[in-house]
Amino acid sequence: MIKLLIRYFNLMVITIFALIVLSFLLPYLFPGDLLTNVSGIVPQSELQREALAKAYRLDQSYFSQFQLYLSNLFSGNWGVSSVSQLDLLEEIKRAFPATLELVIYALLVATFVGIPVGFISGLKHHNPADFSVVTFSIVGYSFPVFWLALLFITIFCLQLQWLPISGRVDLLYEVQHQTGFVIIDIWLSGLDNTKDAYLNALRHAILPTLSIAVVTTALFIRFTRRSTMDVMEKGYIIAAKSRGFTQRQIFFKHGFKNALIPILPILALQISTLITNAMIVENIFSWPGIGYWLIQAIYQQDYPAIRAGMLVVALFVLTLTITIEFITRALDPTKEETARAAV
Amino acid sequence: MQRFSLYQEEFHPSPLANVWIEFKRSHLAVFGLIILGLFLLVTILAPIISPYDPYMQNTNTILLPPVWEPNGSISHFFGTDALGRDVLSRLLYGIRVTFGSSLIIVGIAVFIGVGFGALAGLLSGIKSSVVNHLFDSIMSIPTLLIAIVVVAILGTGLANAIFAITLALVPQFIHQTRSFVKSELTKDYVTLDKLDGAGPVRIFFKSILPNMVELIVVQATIALSIAMIDISALGFLSLGAQTPSIELGQILSESLDSAYVTPWLVALPGIFILLMVLSVNMVGEGLRSALRNRFNH
Repeated sequence: MIKLLIRYFNLMVITIFALIVLSFLLPYLFPGDLLTNVSGIVPQSELQREALAKAYRLDQSYFSQFQLYLSNLFSGNWGVSSVSQLDLLEEIKRAFPATLELVIYALLVATFVGIPVGFISGLKHHNPADFSVVTFSIVGYSFPVFWLALLFITIFCLQLQWLPISGRVDLLYEVQHQTGFVIIDIWLSGLDNTKDAYLNALRHAILPTLSIAVVTTALFIRFTRRSTMDVMEKGYIIAAKSRGFTQRQIFFKHGFKNALIPILPILALQISTLITNAMIVENIFSWPGIGYWLIQAIYQQDYPAIRAGMLVVALFVLTLTITIEFITRALDPTKEETARAAV
Repeated sequence: MQRFSLYQEEFHPSPLANVWIEFKRSHLAVFGLIILGLFLLVTILAPIISPYDPYMQNTNTILLPPVWEPNGSISHFFGTDALGRDVLSRLLYGIRVTFGSSLIIVGIAVFIGVGFGALAGLLSGIKSSVVNHLFDSIMSIPTLLIAIVVVAILGTGLANAIFAITLALVPQFIHQTRSFVKSELTKDYVTLDKLDGAGPVRIFFKSILPNMVELIVVQATIALSIAMIDISALGFLSLGAQTPSIELGQILSESLDSAYVTPWLVALPGIFILLMVLSVNMVGEGLRSALRNRFNH
């Protein structure tokens, strides 16, 4: 156990270090002025240029620049955006929770719809209901998310006019930015019409959530169904059946847990796909998340922003993946002990 | 005289023929294969079968509705876009680029992935460990993020999008190949090869690779569908194919300007992307269940 912990801790430290080195190298690879790429400031005079170059140690060795980068990174001094001159850390603190919020909603939908449906269709496989579920699942994960989002907009916003097209909550409600999660922010803001504000936020969240949840739900159904079918053919299930247990008892005693264990890590790894999809869909719904922010940064060639955003998202995904791997390895003793730690 | 037959059938299909027999039993999968074949034909024959030059602008017929609308004309089957270009021709060329570049991406990813994976599987110790860690960490980073970084460094364009998506797809092939090679190395037939004096290169190409082809084909269908969605998503976000070149996602984002007046221009490219990905997934699914059930007769 301790060995495992050390191994995964090592893996985590090495990957994070590799990412930080990569993000340190990015400004040298980006086109344009190195000084602007590093600092986010366009020098107005030769004097300022020299002062900035000195401040960012561009006249010294790469190693010393890296040292400065590391200390800046850990002290929260992430530089400014070259377009808006706003502090990058503050901007990311604003944008990233919005993406996470969307991902969490979609994950909830996928978990509470996908897994039960997958169980049911896996238990009663090869009947008409199961076939329709399988068909939905194949079509579901073949959908390009951006087109699905456009379809939803066309149907529910333009034709039926049921739901709002863009944003997170109407400007009518003065929600202060505090944590970045709109649900918590509304609660902290202490508005008079909290209930209306919640309803409004919910109406804004429905379409983006659905657009990215469809694909993930379809995948969840598929994995759960397959795993349930495999488990229900195992010897111990047949043995339990021959002892006269009902289908219900067998499933909840034996089938449920054993079907879930092998797929939990696969399901958890879908978060990476979910973040990608959320980042695409944000652009369509003008959801002020990290994807929208990064794509805007690309359009405006805001290289300091790209560097910081990339580092944060990649760090988040990697840390999450390694933690999930570690937990599943620690919980599942059937996995071979000598297997190497892997992301 | 009737011969005494010990077996139910005299003819023993090869493993590959078994897969085909099992694959044929699923009508959906065969249907998917036919659609996939059609897309492949379009990819190859797009310049011959498209009725118009996809770049030719005809200002006399702007935003002509498709043929099933009352105002539609048979001369432009899917109508024309805001610049009077024939939508059918543009879609055919778009399919060519999206499908073709996805095939290229998966081809390169398989080639590199299997190469490095075999290397990582056959080697052991620190070299193997470095290769593994390096590529495993890329695997969990979202594709879009890799694409954003690549586009930021190299600029937008189809070639750069292809490069970014290949970079994102290679690790899973490395991962699969490595774990397959590792598990095969412990099996008896490989030990036998070793006793005969075969080196690691010969063991991989003569013994392990033939067993691995199916695994790679299945993995490649998954990768193909991912590549299609990603390349059109990048085109849609205008990070991939740029305006002079024609790509389904890029056609979609261009037609957003006139989405209120001509919703079919938004619908059509999306339907083709969906059909393309769906056919690949149906074939992949059929192949997977065929491989699983082929000896269950």
